[in-house]
Parts: sequence; C-alpha cells; structure tokens
Amino acid sequence: MQPFALTYARPPIPEPETPYAYDPERQLNVLADGSVAVRDRAVLLACGATTSTAGSKTHFDD
Amino acid sequence: MTVLILTSAEDVTADMVVDRLAAMDVQVLRVDPAGFPQQVTLTARYASGTLTGRVTAGHRTADLREIRSIWVRRPGAPGSGGQVQPGWVAVESDHAWYGTLRALPGVRWMNHPEATAACRYKMRQLVLAESAGFTVPATVFTTVPADARGFADDHGPLVCKSVSGRAPNDPPLALPTTPVPGDADFAPVAAAPTCLQTRIDKQADVRVTVVGSDIFCARTDDAATDRAGHREVDWRYADPRSVRWRATHVPSHIRPKIDAFMNATGLAYGAFDFAVAEDGTWYFLECNTSGQFGFIELATGLPVSQSIADWLAAG
Repeated sequence: MQPFALTYARPPIPEPETPYAYDPERQLNVLADGSVAVRDRAVLLACGATTSTAGSKTHFDD
Repeated sequence: MTVLILTSAEDVTADMVVDRLAAMDVQVLRVDPAGFPQQVTLTARYASGTLTGRVTAGHRTADLREIRSIWVRRPGAPGSGGQVQPGWVAVESDHAWYGTLRALPGVRWMNHPEATAACRYKMRQLVLAESAGFTVPATVFTTVPADARGFADDHGPLVCKSVSGRAPNDPPLALPTTPVPGDADFAPVAAAPTCLQTRIDKQADVRVTVVGSDIFCARTDDAATDRAGHREVDWRYADPRSVRWRATHVPSHIRPKIDAFMNATGLAYGAFDFAVAEDGTWYFLECNTSGQFGFIELATGLPVSQSIADWLAAG
C-alpha cells in the first residue's frame, strides 16, 4: 500500500542549472568571465539557486 | 581569527556571506566535511591540557586555535567517500570532525549541532513553539486510519505534509504541503507515519529570518499559484512569479515569542515560517535551522547576508 502522504507527491523540482562554477581559490562560485556570481543579481534570480527549495535534494531544511 | 564555514561548493547562498567576509578582510576557511578525509584533512592533538591542530583544504589551512566562529550552512556528512568499510569510516570521520570542533573553546556556532538537534523533529518543535507563546495549528502524526479520520472530523479541513520535512528519494519526489479532501480515504496512513494539520485560511505568508539579535521579516499577501494559475497552498512550490515578498516589521507581540523560541533552543539562526490567518492570527508553521535566505534578500533588499557576516566576524 502506498503511504498516504505520497498521494500528494509530485515530480521533483529540478535543481537549477547554474552558469557558474566553484573556484576553490576564491572559495566562491564564479561566472565564466571570472566574476563573482553572487554580485550578479540577475544571474541569481534567473537560476533560482537561492530559493527555499534549492538544494532540497540533499538538504531538507528550506 | 578564522571563520570556518561548513557547506557544499554549490551552495551559492553561502557565497553571499563569504563575499561579504572577504570584503571585511576576515579570514575564511570554507570546507565541505563530505570531502573529509579525501580532500579535507584534520589533525587535532590534545596534550598537556591544550588542543592544537589544523584543518586543511587545498592550500588553505586554519589553525584550530584561530577558529572563532563556525557557520554550519549546508555541509555534507564527514567521511562520505570511504571505500573500505564505508559505514565505519563515516562514523570515525564524524566523531573526529565534529568531536574536535565541539571541543574548541570559545567558539560561537551558527548553529551549534545541539541546537539544531533540538529543532530537528517537527512535533518537538511545535511543542517548543507553543511554549514560547506562538499559536500552533492542531497537528497529528498517526499510523491509525480511524485516528486520522477522527482528527479530520475534529480539526478539518486539513493539509498533509511530511513528518520529517524530507522528500522521498527512491525515486525522487516533491512533497509540498497539500490540502486533504474532506472525503479522503485514510487507510494508507497505516503504510507510513502521516502528518496532518489544520489548514489555515491565510491572508499572508511570512518568513522571519533571525540572525543573532537581528530580525528580518518578509511577507507575501499574494495568492500563490502554480504555472497553470491554480491556487498553491505551499508557496515553496508555487510559480515564483506569483509570490512577491516585501519587507515588513515583526508585530510587537510576536518579537518576544521569537526571542523565547531562540533562547529555548539555543539557535543563533532560524528561518521561521508563519501563516497569517484571515483574523490576523500568526500561526507558527516551522523554524528552519538552516533555512534559505538568499531569495528573501534578493526580493526585499533585507541585509541578511551582511548580518550573518557581522555575526560570524564578531566571534
């Protein structure tokens, strides 16, 4: 029998595709041009990586 | 001094704080304990009554005596990469890692693992919240179908949510807070513990982010919808364009309750979710001990990341 709560389950929200990568030297994620990703508000809003469900695949705290 | 930040590389929300700490010329070591011991190393020596040693990630090293504050953001579990006896390696790694950090004298934590643990379980959190003075929706955990039906008769209409806050992962699924139809068949609650809660007819959702003694309050009065325009109870899963957050003040009668909750739990950081009912009552829903704050800062301009940086740097 399927658990009751799973009656309301949905496909997961995909983790956002991000146009930046972690730079261990700077300990920050940087864009392709080397600029710091979090200084670009438009990038953050577009990729949704700071939303309450971002990272929820691995961390349950929203 | 060094601020030790425990989080994953892809945690761009943490970057908001790391970038501010860099601007403040504060020494930071950012590591993901999941990389311990493969990419992150630790030596902790206790001799003659003194704890010394270092944590190293790449070419960056922090002397244990220099660590003044620790931000537990979104870390992986230590020892995740063990190949031989992986379960044992993970336990050994956890004890070496967090055992050492917990033993460091005079370090301030955001949040201390004990405080996080105190808030980990939903029912305990609700009890703590009510003790702090908050109004809490009637809630039941049950595996007994008749008890679920009885709760629905007494406290419906209801929503269903995860007991743990976790979503299933085999296969991965999302589990938003969802209204339960009045004629629901509760027989399947016998298959797994089920959390049912009185549904609040709300006029607004509120996210209160607490950083030490700083409180940042954001509110949305929008009726959240999915992309098809259907009403969505759980704003986390709504079309983001339908949820517009604005900065506001915490009502004077709520502030002391937040303080009482933070004091009772020992948390230095918490992201509270409230539902504001049509009659204006603030219902406590949960406190996320590592809750996201980036989306609030981006939407409202509330300086949460600077506040966190200031708190960590003051260690």
